[in-house]
Amino acid sequence: MKPAEKEWTPKILAFLCNWCSYAGADLAGISRMQYPPNIRVVRVPCSGRVNPYFIIKALQRGWDGVLVSGCHPGDCHYISGNLVARRRFAVLKDLLEYLGIESGRLNFSWVSAAEGEKFATVVKEVVEKVKALGPAERLVKR
Amino acid sequence: MKFNPKILGFLCNWCSYAGADLAGISRIQYPPNLRIIRVMCTGRIDPVLPLEALANGADGVIIMGCHPGDCHYMTGNYEAERKIKMLKKLIAPLGLAERLHVEWVSASEGARFAEVVENFTNQIKVLGPSPLRQEKLDLSKWEGIQAAKEAVEDFRLRALVARERKIIEEGNVYGEEISQEEFDRKMDDALTAEYIRNRIYLILEKEPTSIKQLSKRLNLSSKHVLDHVVLLRRRGLVTVDKIEDMTPIYSVLKR
Amino acid sequence: MDKLGSVMVIGGGVAGVQASLDLADSNFKVYLVDSLPSIGGTMAQLDKTFPTNDCAMCILAPKLVAAGRHQNISLLTNANLKHVEGKAGHFKATLTRRSRRVDEDKCTGCGVCAQKCPVEALDKFNEGLSKGGAVYVRYPQAVPLIYIINKEKCLGCGICEEVCKAGAIRYDQKDEELQLDVGSIILATGFDEFDPSLKTEYGYGRHLNVVSSIEFERLLSASGPHAGLVLRPSDGDIPRKIAFIQCVGSRDATCGTDYCSSVCCMYATKEAVIAKEHMNQIEPTIFLMDVRAYGKDFDKYIERAENEYGVRFVRCRVSSIEEVPETRNLKIKYEPEDGKLIQEEFNLVVLTVGIKPSESNKELAEKLGVELDKFGFFKTQTFTPISTSKPGIFVCGVASSPKDIPETVTQASAASTGVGELLASARGTLVKKKEYPKERDVRGQPPRIGVFICHCGINIGGVIDVPSVVEYAQTLPNVVHACDNLYTCSSDTQEIVKNRIQEYGLNRVIVASCSPRTHEPLFQETIKEAGLNRYLFEMANIRDQCSWVHMHDHKAATEKAKDLMRMAVAKAREIEPLERVALGVTRRGLVIGGGLAGITAALALAKQGFEVDLIEKNKELGGFLRKIHYTLENDDTQEYLRAMIDNVYSNELIKVFLNSKVENVSGYVGNFKTTVTLDSGSEVKRELEHGIIIVATGGEEYHPNEYLYGKDHRVLTQLELENRITVAADEKFGNVVMIQCVGSRNDEHPYCSRMCCGEAVKNSLKVKEKDPEANVYVLFRDIRTYGIMEEDYKRAREAGVIFIRYEEENKPKLAKIKSEGKEDLQVSVFEPIIQEDIIIDADLLVLSAAVIPPQENGTLAKMLKVPLNEDGFFLEAHAKLRPVDFATEGIFVCGMAHSPKPIEESISQAKAAVSRACTLLTKDTIEAEGIIATVNPNRCTACELCMLVCAYNAIEIEETKRGKVAKVNSALCKGCGACAATCRCSAIDLKGFTDMQMNLIINTLR
Repeated sequence: MKPAEKEWTPKILAFLCNWCSYAGADLAGISRMQYPPNIRVVRVPCSGRVNPYFIIKALQRGWDGVLVSGCHPGDCHYISGNLVARRRFAVLKDLLEYLGIESGRLNFSWVSAAEGEKFATVVKEVVEKVKALGPAERLVKR
Repeated sequence: MKFNPKILGFLCNWCSYAGADLAGISRIQYPPNLRIIRVMCTGRIDPVLPLEALANGADGVIIMGCHPGDCHYMTGNYEAERKIKMLKKLIAPLGLAERLHVEWVSASEGARFAEVVENFTNQIKVLGPSPLRQEKLDLSKWEGIQAAKEAVEDFRLRALVARERKIIEEGNVYGEEISQEEFDRKMDDALTAEYIRNRIYLILEKEPTSIKQLSKRLNLSSKHVLDHVVLLRRRGLVTVDKIEDMTPIYSVLKR
Repeated sequence: MDKLGSVMVIGGGVAGVQASLDLADSNFKVYLVDSLPSIGGTMAQLDKTFPTNDCAMCILAPKLVAAGRHQNISLLTNANLKHVEGKAGHFKATLTRRSRRVDEDKCTGCGVCAQKCPVEALDKFNEGLSKGGAVYVRYPQAVPLIYIINKEKCLGCGICEEVCKAGAIRYDQKDEELQLDVGSIILATGFDEFDPSLKTEYGYGRHLNVVSSIEFERLLSASGPHAGLVLRPSDGDIPRKIAFIQCVGSRDATCGTDYCSSVCCMYATKEAVIAKEHMNQIEPTIFLMDVRAYGKDFDKYIERAENEYGVRFVRCRVSSIEEVPETRNLKIKYEPEDGKLIQEEFNLVVLTVGIKPSESNKELAEKLGVELDKFGFFKTQTFTPISTSKPGIFVCGVASSPKDIPETVTQASAASTGVGELLASARGTLVKKKEYPKERDVRGQPPRIGVFICHCGINIGGVIDVPSVVEYAQTLPNVVHACDNLYTCSSDTQEIVKNRIQEYGLNRVIVASCSPRTHEPLFQETIKEAGLNRYLFEMANIRDQCSWVHMHDHKAATEKAKDLMRMAVAKAREIEPLERVALGVTRRGLVIGGGLAGITAALALAKQGFEVDLIEKNKELGGFLRKIHYTLENDDTQEYLRAMIDNVYSNELIKVFLNSKVENVSGYVGNFKTTVTLDSGSEVKRELEHGIIIVATGGEEYHPNEYLYGKDHRVLTQLELENRITVAADEKFGNVVMIQCVGSRNDEHPYCSRMCCGEAVKNSLKVKEKDPEANVYVLFRDIRTYGIMEEDYKRAREAGVIFIRYEEENKPKLAKIKSEGKEDLQVSVFEPIIQEDIIIDADLLVLSAAVIPPQENGTLAKMLKVPLNEDGFFLEAHAKLRPVDFATEGIFVCGMAHSPKPIEESISQAKAAVSRACTLLTKDTIEAEGIIATVNPNRCTACELCMLVCAYNAIEIEETKRGKVAKVNSALCKGCGACAATCRCSAIDLKGFTDMQMNLIINTLR
């Protein structure tokens, strides 16, 4: 394929909590589960660390989608950080929709340390979803 | 119409190819069905090549090399012998084993060369046209040979075959003697497993399928098929496509 | 001769790991011995754990990693005990370490060998449900992550040696003998699963679709053979109808297992619930005798299983299982309570296998000279639940009797206290403190970043073009050095890293290799040894999350690796050295509550040399135990209590405050201040200072409103009956009717009081003993005589005690019938088997009254800022793995303050609380986390939002010159960052993961 014809592929930023989802992503690797290479992972101590501002900032900067993944309810290493995160993102999602950002660009999931395959599936789904939406341009500053 | 077999021969440069030349020099007549590929040594014959030939519809494949002990490259013919033995085992369930043959023919054996060709041609005539010929392709056998090709591409099996002679002759890494039978048993296990997995993969590649359907198509117990699918999933080659009623339907992930 | 400050822990399951961590954290040298090649035990095999449905691996893995990395713990895996000599304080143990045929120092755990191994071997960890090679690790997160060759399966082809770039394969490695000098030994050998093929009527091994519950556990697991799909073995279909058959190898004299395995009712229910969660169409049925949900919050779980998930519970013994040849479905014949024989077809049958004493116990007992009980568990006594028959050798977990994970963890900590009491004088003598060079101050210097990129043999290098990533890294800002290594984690590379730090004057280091979750501590240690602050480090995960998951797209994987590199550099440019603040510790304890748990805790602390203040609200010590006179084993509880109280008063380290209550608590871990009010005529206030608090406020007997209690002298509670039995010399009892669950498992107190079934059995046996003529009837809902107590239940039935089950909606009724001028008590109860009311004239009606939490728990919980559960008992930090800790550090709970429980469990918990406390009290200072939240007071508006989301109460509002601002207590903050993400004015930030760093990473998008 010539460079000019190169297919557009989305870039997705993922915030994974250290104790569950990041470990799940590691397990996907250990189990050699293959998934699309469009994702860039930022490790955070807890999904509760993810400031909604980071997500808006990412969309402004031109990331096509964002994934935030934390421990399952009840599994949080910090007792309740994931629940705080969940509440926060429910609000953020509404706000982004109001701004005209397709809801598929912001994804939230629970992936445990034992769910390597699930992590791979989540990534595939998110990549597909964002691919279908096309590049995110709404918030990008020009 | 009279059946006119197409036979492909891999001949080593130093003995068998020279033997074929000698047959010509001596004007010894033999059937015209053989097409010869010259290789420097039979040891060079990648196991995938004879399978490729069969897959392309050759009615027979014959490999000819130096007699044991005569190899120009010391041990190439021994390696070839083991590889062909493995291949024959692998394609036996497809009914193709007799279409693959190995013979030792020296540079001085022009007449013997002609005799070998004649015999093999006759053998193939009796067997009839390959089920892999384009005209009336047997699909399940075609899948089978593709799976066999994939299986011999497997690193682990190739590595194992490569070590066979050393292990049998010099013992394993623990200095223990391993009998040919024991080695063959392990080899067979690994080979069959690899072959079946590749067949499963190829079937799933065409269309998503359930364990029970796979079991019917491969004539294997569902339990067996399930075990292989577990492994293929672990290797990230196969995934659950959907669940119909209570039955998971599997499909492939790109290799 | 002085005692030795070292301990050998045998068994690396959750019990062994917990005991080792507690001991190592309180300055003992620990040798953790496991006969398997990796630690983790049975728990590592579990999918989820009840009642919280926590992912077992998620909560266990951090503990395993901690044990693997602990400076004071040596892991001796694949090892067996050969023999032991010596006595308490001085044991000499000889071990055999079986050869792995892999060099432990060289193996990096990369796994290439297993991938290339041509031999298919059954995978034991997945209970033979999937296949693996002859060189393997038990599970992907194994600790230590060192491969092992299974010689029996190995062909000896030599491929693994060839592909191992680390050169770790050693075919000629020999078994090795090892001598250890230790002061004490802890046995944590766990258990074996009952072999279900011994119960031939269930067809295990004959019928493909009959599986054991441990196999089913693997089937459920996301890391199991079907990656979380529940598929039946015969054809890979999802089984719609699943039958669980309980008590396979439990409560079964024919198998020599007269005891109850204690955990099966709950774990089968959990498996049923999880199966249902996986696939809603699944219809699970559990066939059982009693629902033994005796633990904290267990009944709620059963109720949810039944009502929310639709799990069906059927009370019966299953008589036979037959296979339907065409479908391989299974026909189960069973007889429910009404006696009608029913046949029902299922798609899958799960045999809930019981716990068996570990096969190795016998041999160990012989080598160690300790006694086993008649089943083969290590023998213990009521008042010494963690001591074996030989001084200096302790036991914990299932090694001594069946128990669940929290109890196992509790006992592990308790055993550690046992060791602490024995070896207190030798504490700290055998642990070394590592010396580091002085830290270079790099603040204010421009970043000089060094990048080390790992090939990981071929794991990374085979997919990613590493040289091009090195080249790329060199172009990134502030990178002054970039190079590649074959294995960055190998010990020789650590020297290279240290040298380069000096050579290039590096002040930030990035390693691009595997996961920081496993390797960050190693590299941090390296840079610390080179004089850099450990936080001046960053990792790029280009293996687990790049080369391994994009194996077939080398170009995209290389591009991704470069992106990850750029992200790491962006962050590294902004990272700063972080300090771990050292906080002083007041080496003195406070115990609230002077009952059995409180007394035990106070004495255990004192025995280890710590001063204790013991606060009791009543005028004397003893609490609930004052009302208990004997146990099922016929121990004299009052004599024991008297002796303990004497010990308390004669110990000069313990100060007792009677008639006292806690008025106020301030401070934090290591530095608490508590105000106590003494009510002795006139109120006196006392200020106490201490480093830890143990809450042991106990429980109380419920005062029944039911069954004319308090209105008729013939109606008693169990405790009152017990008193009467003890006091009265030769009484005739006549007809004694006991009603279970009075005030328990109802709307007011939805929980099970755990001890009443045992109490009822105990008292009925005593009544029968004193007056063989007496008739005893026990009216119950479920008989929950878990564990070895099951035997006493059997004993009671044999003694003629009649047990009659009643349903919750059909409680026994009491009537007063007038006859011959007096009023008789008449109890009627509906009997489900004969489907009729039974009427019993009662001379005595004994109510098994609930255990309820003391009222003042609420006030105390508020003062301590720790939570209570819905029932009013204290809520621990984690139901499974932190059963006596609170989320707030430095505060612990034990005894009935936690939940109702019998004597030996209270003792275990008290000792466990002490063990946890000792991990703090034995330190001069406590190091706070480096990654913690920090407040910019100029921006803070004291809106308190951060306080709301902080689960650790680590934030307070402080009055300053500028007004109110939030302040983070660095001793309590765990560094989750929830506050930073909540703050409306960016006043609070998380060190190590700052807003600035996150923004820079986000900005790296190209």
